[in-house]
Amino acid sequence: MEVGQMQRRLVDYTKSLFMEGFLDAQFLQLQQLQDESNPDFVVEVVSLFFDDSEKLLNDLTMALDQPNVDFKKVDAHVHQLKGSSSSIGAQRVKNACIAFRSFCEEHNIDATLRCLQQVKQEYYLVKNKLETMLRLEQQIVAAGGSIPMIELGFWRTINMKGGKE
Amino acid sequence: MELMKSENIVQDRQPQPQEEEEIMQQEEEEQRFHVLAVDDSVIDRKLLEKLLKASSYQVTCVESGEKALEYLGLLHHSSPASSSSQHHHQGHKVNLIMTDFSMPGTSGYDLLKRIKGSSWKDVPVVVMSSENVPSRISMCLEGGAEEFMLKPLQLSDLHKIQAHLLKSLPHS
Repeated sequence: MEVGQMQRRLVDYTKSLFMEGFLDAQFLQLQQLQDESNPDFVVEVVSLFFDDSEKLLNDLTMALDQPNVDFKKVDAHVHQLKGSSSSIGAQRVKNACIAFRSFCEEHNIDATLRCLQQVKQEYYLVKNKLETMLRLEQQIVAAGGSIPMIELGFWRTINMKGGKE
Repeated sequence: MELMKSENIVQDRQPQPQEEEEIMQQEEEEQRFHVLAVDDSVIDRKLLEKLLKASSYQVTCVESGEKALEYLGLLHHSSPASSSSQHHHQGHKVNLIMTDFSMPGTSGYDLLKRIKGSSWKDVPVVVMSSENVPSRISMCLEGGAEEFMLKPLQLSDLHKIQAHLLKSLPHS
């Protein structure tokens, strides 16, 4: 596949992630912070997010598996995951965490177990999508191409503040 | 022999170009504002560090309120002897402290109160939180915080920071 084709594929893929709500404006902020002095910034932050999230999901699974669930602890983990997903722009994970917290408050064991499944699902989905997107970027750079910017008009069509203002 | 002597003299007079650059870099660094960033989230620390560096600030990140107190020399309730400038202690210059609110152990609010009750009290403190809780915001502002910011922070938020930093410049 030649570079132009790869670039078009990347742009379409990236746009779909925003349109489907996997990513929000905060992810754009991360991309804007990346520059020549730190060309792997997005990859680094995303990797940190993956490591951190997987640990939190493990902790949550264990915490909800106890005979006497400590909802305060569960809530603390979810709060952390909500924070980190919000910081990288993983919108659907963040929203799943918000719902999760409200059930923690109610000490509802069945609902929180369902929420955990939901959060895990959203997390693995966005992980997969981000890995695909980053891989496409890598391929373009390896082929000597540059990462194309998404046109400003796109952000307006999905009603999102984005791009350099 | 005389030739060698004169060569040595020429070498001693001129600093190596690399050394000169290092000296200039050091001086530049000392002139930049230094921000102490406190957050228990590794992702938020990385993000904050990048945001601050992108705005040309010098940054030190620590992962807890305790580590921040340690850095400021406040961990064992002792007040460090104040040196010439109110912003210099223990060889550290700190122009601004940015701290997350919800942290295990010493919270951002605890840290704020400790700072405001110490010789660092004139250093502006900005509290950050992912939650928009009005009572929390007023509590922090009443506790002496210069500003309360909602996470996730963006480049545009850094403009507010600059105003506080400029306010904190020592009087000449």
